[in-house]
Amino acid sequence: MLLQFPGPGPTEVDLKSTYDAVVVGSGAAGGMAAYVLTTHGLKVLLLEAGKYQDTSKILHSMEWPYDHPRRGKMPPDHHAITLNEYNIRQSPYAQNSPYGKVQSYVQGWSGTDYSKTLVVDEKEHPYTGTRYAWVRSRAVGGKTNIWGRLALRLSDYDFKAKDRDGYGENWPISYADIEPYYDKVDLYLGISGHPENLPYLPDSKFQRPVKLSYSEMHLRETLKGMGRVLTPYRAGVTTDGLKHNKYRSRCYGRGACSRHVGGCDIHAAFDSPTGLIRPAWDTGNLTMRTNSTVYEVTVDKDSGKATGVGFLDSETRKSYQVNAKTVILAASTLESARLLLLSKSTLYPNGIGNSSGHVGHNFCEHMMGPSVSGFMKDLVGKLRTNDDGRPGSFYIPRFRNLEGKRSEFLRGYGYEGGSGTTMMPGSAYSTPGFGEEYKKHVREYAGATIEMGAFGEVLPKYENFVETDPTVKDAWGIPVLRFSYKFGENEQKMAKDMAAAGREMFEAAKFEVLSTSDGMLPEGWSIHELGTARMGNDPKTSVVNQFQQCHDVKNLLVVDGSTHVNASCQNPTWTIMALCWRSCDHLADQIKKGEV
Amino acid sequence: MNSTFDRRDILKILTASAALAGPLQLAAAEPDKPLYFTKDEFALLDHLTEILIPRDAHSGGAHEAGVAAFIDRTAAEAFMPEDKQSWNKGLAEIDRLSVGETKRTFLKATKDQQIALLKKLAKADDSPKSDGEKFFGQLKNTTVFGYYTSKIGIHEEMEYKGNVILEQFAGYEAS
Repeated sequence: MLLQFPGPGPTEVDLKSTYDAVVVGSGAAGGMAAYVLTTHGLKVLLLEAGKYQDTSKILHSMEWPYDHPRRGKMPPDHHAITLNEYNIRQSPYAQNSPYGKVQSYVQGWSGTDYSKTLVVDEKEHPYTGTRYAWVRSRAVGGKTNIWGRLALRLSDYDFKAKDRDGYGENWPISYADIEPYYDKVDLYLGISGHPENLPYLPDSKFQRPVKLSYSEMHLRETLKGMGRVLTPYRAGVTTDGLKHNKYRSRCYGRGACSRHVGGCDIHAAFDSPTGLIRPAWDTGNLTMRTNSTVYEVTVDKDSGKATGVGFLDSETRKSYQVNAKTVILAASTLESARLLLLSKSTLYPNGIGNSSGHVGHNFCEHMMGPSVSGFMKDLVGKLRTNDDGRPGSFYIPRFRNLEGKRSEFLRGYGYEGGSGTTMMPGSAYSTPGFGEEYKKHVREYAGATIEMGAFGEVLPKYENFVETDPTVKDAWGIPVLRFSYKFGENEQKMAKDMAAAGREMFEAAKFEVLSTSDGMLPEGWSIHELGTARMGNDPKTSVVNQFQQCHDVKNLLVVDGSTHVNASCQNPTWTIMALCWRSCDHLADQIKKGEV
Repeated sequence: MNSTFDRRDILKILTASAALAGPLQLAAAEPDKPLYFTKDEFALLDHLTEILIPRDAHSGGAHEAGVAAFIDRTAAEAFMPEDKQSWNKGLAEIDRLSVGETKRTFLKATKDQQIALLKKLAKADDSPKSDGEKFFGQLKNTTVFGYYTSKIGIHEEMEYKGNVILEQFAGYEAS
């Protein structure tokens, strides 16, 4: 199952030779590791558990719903787990389900037929324990094939958060350490945005920003008076194009990324296969094997170093071993933690890299749910405009607990929102009644609607963790994860404040508020799981060092969201890639000097 | 900066997508030969959807948009037997309620009687309890989806301007 990318490159996995690095997972982190290491001239083997699927062909970004036999819905024997099921059922959620395929809630979003093969079947990939909506993609590119595109930087308000409020741990790096790598990621992959000069949300090297709708401009002006900011969506999308990447187009404002489950069939939105893996392939230094499910990191008993990985062919289930000088885990936050825990040996009885006992712990993410929706009276009944021809609408950065007065809760949250017409008028479901009056109401209010939802920092806690389940196994016979993870009091207090502040901002803008919600969505909903192998200077309380090398095993790196010390409230993908680039530059240097 | 990925490439992708969509097409129901419902059930369903979203001076309604045919196809391929049966039961319940109030089945009742019955069921919008109220919710949600994803719903009724290639984003520049 070798990927047939065009151009030079090895076409066989050589199980006798020793690669400079084996990378596990091909999403944002794995793609970045492969790209950086191959451009340093190192021989890299990239293992991906899923298949290669050409999103240029499967996403059908501009297909009209009426041209699809089920209006974009999945085949009848597919089922997406509903919010209610997460609330009332016990995991594994697909257990005893009569449906042929059961997938996570994201497949319930519109256009689900386009991503049904990118998201895993929960029947094959169960997990146990506390409530968690775990969204996984096993495909070349992983979740970057359908991600939400909001590309934000973290700041020292996050990296040094403990210095500010005393909670948790500081990161072993500061903003100055990672800033050059954020710049590299911006310039190499392309990012759209408008500079605001905010210390807590540093600007990127922006390409052409998206524009704001009339109501969004009005809200932006209103918020200025409250000392808050509404900025055009900072999208990990190339709006001007990238001369150095022939696999990606610039954005043509089709708005397709918000209509379907996500993803871009012309690759203006960053995805790992066209943004990183194809360029890595073009160096001639990359070998990629798909359908390769890694189940352990192998170890040399004498030196204690990692020697490579064991993997199964996902289809034939045949087992293989491959050797490498370094092993780089980029399987996603929870899957990388699972691999560390699965790799037990006499040297590492609690799992490799886990002498601290912190692997799987300090698990954190973003809490979602609180939201506000309303409309701007001036726009009711006005002529139609094209409001959704853009890769995102607006973002309101954190404004709580920055300076001065402290809230009843720690840390902060941001708001993501949108306004105006969309292909399917969302208000049609919530508008009461029926008949001519109903129809007219939907028509006249569609362009006037504005809504936004909050994303809040969930505090990392040792007590929130995953471990391997002693009995339950996945379809490949590999022990699954068991969750012990719950939102706490800080999140509940924050949720109340999110809803109140959302209403306050809409009222200040004189928007008519239709509804506000302070209810939290289930754990996992943001698809921003982080922590579980946090970085730090102290091997007793952290798993990896600032270059994402395991304290216990220097030639074993974890380069995905696992290593985040806290979640911040800013979306993680850009930080994952900047950190990974930095670590791989450092690793390449060490390999060249023979230090690893 | 100019991308080497030009509009011709985009067009290529778009035509490829359209071609791939082909084999997925299912047989469409003919007006007098529904895939799942009986002729009488189909007529009632078609009439109900048109009451919910009727033709008005602005555009066509659910009947012209083929919403009943869309529901018929959805019911025909529904995987869970109860998802199919909920439609037959619901339609029968509408007739039962109509007979109870007017001594006539729904289609034979007067327009005013029909609307009065549906208004009663629609009142419980937020927390439907009776079978009739629950069915009304199911009917409305499905009709809304079917109508606003149809050609008439998107282009005529909502005059949707998007899903086009833009050189520049529409809207206002943040300053």
